[in-house]
This record gives sequence, structure tokens and C-alpha cells, in this order.
Amino acid sequence: MRLIVARCEVVYRGRVTSLLPMAQRLIMMKADGSIMVHSDAGGYKPQNWMTPPSRIQESDGLIVAAKGTGNAVETVEIRIEEVVSDTEHDLGEAARLEKDGVERDLQEAIAAAADVLGEGMTLLRREYPTPIGPVDIVCRDDEGWVAVEVKRVVTIDAVEQLTRYLTYIREQPGMSGCRGMLVGQSVKPQARTLASSRDIDTLVVDLAELRGLKAPELRLFSP
Amino acid sequence: MRLVCQKDHLAGRLAAVGRAASTKSTVPALANVLIEADENGVVVAATDMELSLRAPLEARVEQPGTVVVPKLAADIVRSMVPGEVTLEHNEGEGVVSLTGGSSSFALNSHQPGEFPALPAEDGSGVVLPADVFLSTADRVVRAASRDDTRPVLTGVLVRLEQDSVTMVATDSYRLAVRQAPLTSGPSQPQQAIVPARALAEAQRAIALAGADQIEVVLSQTSGTFRAGDVVLTTRLIDGQFIDYRQLIPEQFTHDLQLDRGELLAVLGRIAVIAQRNTPVRMALTEGQMTLSVVSEQFGEGHESIPVAFSGEDMEIGFNVEFLRAGVESAEGDTLRLGVISPLRPGLLRGDDDTFRYLLMPIRLNT
Repeated sequence: MRLIVARCEVVYRGRVTSLLPMAQRLIMMKADGSIMVHSDAGGYKPQNWMTPPSRIQESDGLIVAAKGTGNAVETVEIRIEEVVSDTEHDLGEAARLEKDGVERDLQEAIAAAADVLGEGMTLLRREYPTPIGPVDIVCRDDEGWVAVEVKRVVTIDAVEQLTRYLTYIREQPGMSGCRGMLVGQSVKPQARTLASSRDIDTLVVDLAELRGLKAPELRLFSP
Repeated sequence: MRLVCQKDHLAGRLAAVGRAASTKSTVPALANVLIEADENGVVVAATDMELSLRAPLEARVEQPGTVVVPKLAADIVRSMVPGEVTLEHNEGEGVVSLTGGSSSFALNSHQPGEFPALPAEDGSGVVLPADVFLSTADRVVRAASRDDTRPVLTGVLVRLEQDSVTMVATDSYRLAVRQAPLTSGPSQPQQAIVPARALAEAQRAIALAGADQIEVVLSQTSGTFRAGDVVLTTRLIDGQFIDYRQLIPEQFTHDLQLDRGELLAVLGRIAVIAQRNTPVRMALTEGQMTLSVVSEQFGEGHESIPVAFSGEDMEIGFNVEFLRAGVESAEGDTLRLGVISPLRPGLLRGDDDTFRYLLMPIRLNT
């Protein structure tokens, strides 16, 4: 990872042409070939950037990143007037993003207390295999099998995913009546509407409550 | 179609009826208001397929017809100079013209055929005095849930009996029940779960019509509320309402009498620094109730009021807005608060038992 703090001007040519006038900026050049030009504002988003694979050429006071060919070529030209700092760091192997482990933890917590999904619900297995990938949990209650997909936030994509799993699960002997349930810490309204139209239940759970770290909210009755 | 109408009247009717129009529907015409003019008069109507509103419009009909005008026509007409406004539409054209004073607008409009048929409004029902309906609905409607996951809780149970009307709403954290006497209720009890929004709109309809009574027609799937010449029809919520009677404890460890106005004033001050989900702490000690709130962002506040409390000290946490809503809704100068323990619901009542407000506490971190 190379970090250059410099007074520079940046010209992008491609689908449009844009110019960042001369100012002090941070240029990040990653080992994967990406270049990002940041100002001291704008949050995580660079003012200009080039994603890999790109061709990077560097000459005195000029860095040019290009990709594409012919009419589809895009270039980012960084004209450097003054370099304030230029350092390079070896960050080693990229560590995989741990997404807070929420989905995995939710799945574990629900599997450990399947009755949160409904009265009399018992766990058959986690990671129940289907030809297109495993569904998170399969449970059973008095009315039959229930395939459960666990998400941090239940979206329309999750509804589509569980619908696909259900198609395969229902082809298996004795599981033609398998119901579907989507569980998450929140459920998008559109996902709830689509799930409801497909007879898929949705359930909101609180991970802290499931783990016993937080007492459930007091209610007059269980809604 | 061509009609002429007083500007304020037209603006008022378009705005009032336009509340039923939907901007979120996949049917674009539902974001509009329908105006029908014939030899019997002019009717303004809107619907989002869940709720529909219709009201007459006092206007001089120069040419009968039907037109669909966008909801924003209300804003345009309201900002016109006082006087008469002319609304004109040539059949088959996609434009409605609005002229008044020196203003002239040509608004894109939908064809009347794109507007769905409005629900039938026939059938007679139970007539309630407007003040009874308003005072009953107003006290419970806020306790209904806004969470669509349990549709039944987003409605208000309306029960009409020979000598009373009862309305009940709950969001599972609180329950509001109001019963009022009726002199001419139905011979057989009737009940339905009416969407809270429809009940709130029915209250507005009474104000719009200046009516002193409202007729309530409850059928299997729909409810109709007629206030004067303003008619509201709503889809009813299908399902079983919670058996609320068994939620209300019959006895309380402490039944405290409080000055309602004083408590309301204290809660008003305390609520200023209480944020969402910050409980108000109600500490009960010998002869005194101390209400306090601690906000990480703003600081803390507390205030004490005298109360006839004796026994072991107790501290209960409540959602400040829920508590305030209950105190506001109770009737009379005296408020009775029944409490059992910090984890059991408390019951607010006014001078009599016609209004009951059951409120679940919030756990306090001690």
C-alpha cells in the first residue's frame, strides 16, 4: 500500500471528463492496482478512482492509470506539483472481512433455542443441504417442516433465496409441505410483503435477547 | 365538465378528501381526487383502496361530467386569490384547467375510467353523538400499533352495544379502553377491528362536516362512517382481537390518587430531556412520588409530588411518552394509578372507570 500526500491536479477522461483542480490530497495506490484520490472530506468515498485491473505508468510528477482499449479507454491522470509525503507499507495477506458474525451468531442462537421460531419447534439440522447450497436451519413443528433462512437484515433477495431453496426441499420425499421462514434483526417492508405473498413467514429477533445478554422487553402479551 | 366554485370551499374539500389519496400505490390514478358533477350535485372523492373519502362540493355546474385532478390541485387552489375558481375539462383530453383571478393552470390528469370504483355506501347503522364518538376514539387511537407485522394491533376494536360503545387499542406495551354510554345502540352487539388511521380520519370527517352525530355501519369486511354529508369507508381488519379483559389485573398493591394536571405538568418537563427508550423512573416512597429521567446526552432531571403512598419503597420505569399519553387521555382532575410491582403493568384511570389505560413498565437497570 503506497500512500502519497501531495498537491495535485486530477483529470479523468472516459465516459465523461472531469477535473479536480490543484489541491492537497491523499493518493492511495493499492497492490491490486487500484488508485484512489481522497480529500479530507467526503467520507469513505474517493474524489476520483480507478479500479483494477489498470495499467499504471509513473513519470516525473505524473501518475497515469488507464484501463480499457480503443473508444472504451478510461484514464486518471494525476499531475503532482509537490509531494508532502510518500510512504509504502506491506500489509501482508488480506484478512477476510468478519461481518460482525451476526448472521452466524443468529443462526447458532436460533438453533440452540428453536422454540423462538414458534411453539413446539424443534431443530432438525443446521446447514441443511440443497443442490443450490445449504439452507441455514431446518426445523419441525406439529404442522410439519420449516426451512429457515437467517439474515442480519431480511431483504427481497433473501425472499428469493429461500424461495429457491424451498423449490428443491419440497421435491424431497415427505417434505412437499415444507414451509419457509425468514428470520433477522430487521425485516424490510418490501421483503415482508413479498414473503407474505409467497406464504413465507418473517420473524424479527434480538440477538442480545437470544444470547440472554438482555432481558426481553416487557409486554402485556406476546404479539 | 365545467363547474364554478368558491376558492376556499374547493381548496378545503380537495385537501380534506385528498387525505385518502395514495402516493405509494402502483395505480397512478389513486394519487388523485375524483370530481363527479351531475344534476344531483358535485361529489369529491379519493381512495387508496383501503380507505375512501367522499364529500359533496357546493358548486355551480355549468356542464356535468367526471374528472380526475391531481392531489396538488388543493395547494394550487388554496394559494389563488379569493373569489370564484373555474374547473374545466374536455372529455377525452388529458388536461384539467383551473382558473381563478388572473391565475390559470392546466394540470395533467388521468382519465376518469382509470379511477377505481368506490365502495358502495348503502346500509344503515348506529348513530352516535359526535362528542361521544370523538371523545372515545381520541382516547384510544394513539395506543394502536404502527407495526404492520401484526395487522390486528394496528386497528381499534369498536364494539357497539345497546347501551354503550367501547373502543379498545393496544400495541402490546399499553392498552387503552374507553367505554361510553349510548341511548340508541343496536339491539344485537356489533364489533369490528377498524384501522386506527380510518378512525382518526373519521374524527376529521366530523370536523369537516361540522356534524353533531356520526353514523357507523359495520359490515363483514368494511366499515362506513357518515358524518353529515361526508362519508368514509374503510376496509376492516380481519382477525381475532386480543382478549383484553384478562390482561387488566383486578387488584393492585397500591391504588394511588394523583392530581392529573400536576402529574401532566411534571411529565411535560421531564419529557423534554427523555429520549426515545429512556424510561422515566417513578420512585414511590412514604408520602411521595419522585419522577426522574437520566439522559446520557442531556443530563438528568427529577421532580417530586406528594402522594398517599405507604409501604415498601418501589421504583417503576415507564416509557415517558406512553405514560404521558395515558395521563392526557384520562378524564377528570383526579387520576388513579394502580401498581403491583416494577415488572407488572400499571393501570391509569380517571374519575371513573370508563377509561382504562394499562401500561407495561420498562425494566430499570438498578
